[in-house]
Amino acid sequence: MTPRDQWLHIDNYLAELRRCLPNMAVADREEIIREISAHIRESVEEPGSSIDEILKRLGSPEMIASQYGQEVLIRRASRGFSPVSILRATRELARRGLQGLALFLGALFGYASGAALLLTVILKPIFPRQIGLWIGPAVFQFGYHQPHPFDPVHEVLGRWYIPVAFWLAFCFVGCTTYGIRWCLRRFRHHRAFVAGSPVAQLAALL
Amino acid sequence: MKLRPDSREPEKIQSAERWEQQIRKGALEMAALAALWPGRLYGLEIIRRFQDSSQLALAEGTIYPILSRLKDEGLLASEWVEAEAGHPRKYYWLTAAGRTRLQQMAETWTEFSRELARLIKPVMTTPAMTKRAIAAQEEEEVTK
Repeated sequence: MTPRDQWLHIDNYLAELRRCLPNMAVADREEIIREISAHIRESVEEPGSSIDEILKRLGSPEMIASQYGQEVLIRRASRGFSPVSILRATRELARRGLQGLALFLGALFGYASGAALLLTVILKPIFPRQIGLWIGPAVFQFGYHQPHPFDPVHEVLGRWYIPVAFWLAFCFVGCTTYGIRWCLRRFRHHRAFVAGSPVAQLAALL
Repeated sequence: MKLRPDSREPEKIQSAERWEQQIRKGALEMAALAALWPGRLYGLEIIRRFQDSSQLALAEGTIYPILSRLKDEGLLASEWVEAEAGHPRKYYWLTAAGRTRLQQMAETWTEFSRELARLIKPVMTTPAMTKRAIAAQEEEEVTK
């Protein structure tokens, strides 16, 4: 391999890394590229290593990028308010351990409940007699119900259904977002140094 | 008739490898902090520290996302320094919070590994029971 080929090889590697890195601030991305290229330069100066070996030891650009990506996902979710980024981050954590799975299911439940309530708010003008807060013996139900003439279940909110259900949906989404953000921050700052690994789960048992 | 190869075997090997990889990855965070205990180092020096002293061999690239996270958590600080070699190096060092955390980690780790070593000691010292011995024991229990 000529020196020119070698540098081409390195350039390709860095270009691939840049391509694989997730959507992040340009300065953060360039900082990563700068650090990895400093590592390669430093390694090249050590005697007895070929470029191929150096890049192989470093690992694939996809692997490095995905590890940065996981961190970015969690960091962004713990600072932002987007349900999408919170769901993505908790889904990532769910792969790492039981705590993460519980967090993901919690987020899913909270957002699904909020979304379902919002849907009933939208549908209320279309089905004014079927959508409401239905109360009867052992029944307490928000949403759709087809009333029968002898049904003991009756609707209690009437026109007030829309603001009440809207407010409730807002509460569900808001509480889930704040709750999960709080958990994510706790997770980041107080996690065991082997969080998510079998060792952490064993440690929790001991 | 051709026998289908047992498809579970590779999975077993994979899960054992994954387990080992996760342990290494988990320990790497503490190892990176510990490598910086004596003073400031740049990425490649930290990696070389591992290779000299332990079995933390991993793809070298994995250390950088870990350093970035530790920095984000306020446990490390970093600075680019223009080196004599002609290109800059990014040096890392422990912050006060990092030192405290590392000490806590070291205590937890020592306690935890002592407990775990106690649990797995029989695995290393007494031989595993053979199938015949297990069958004999079961028979004995049945006759009782």
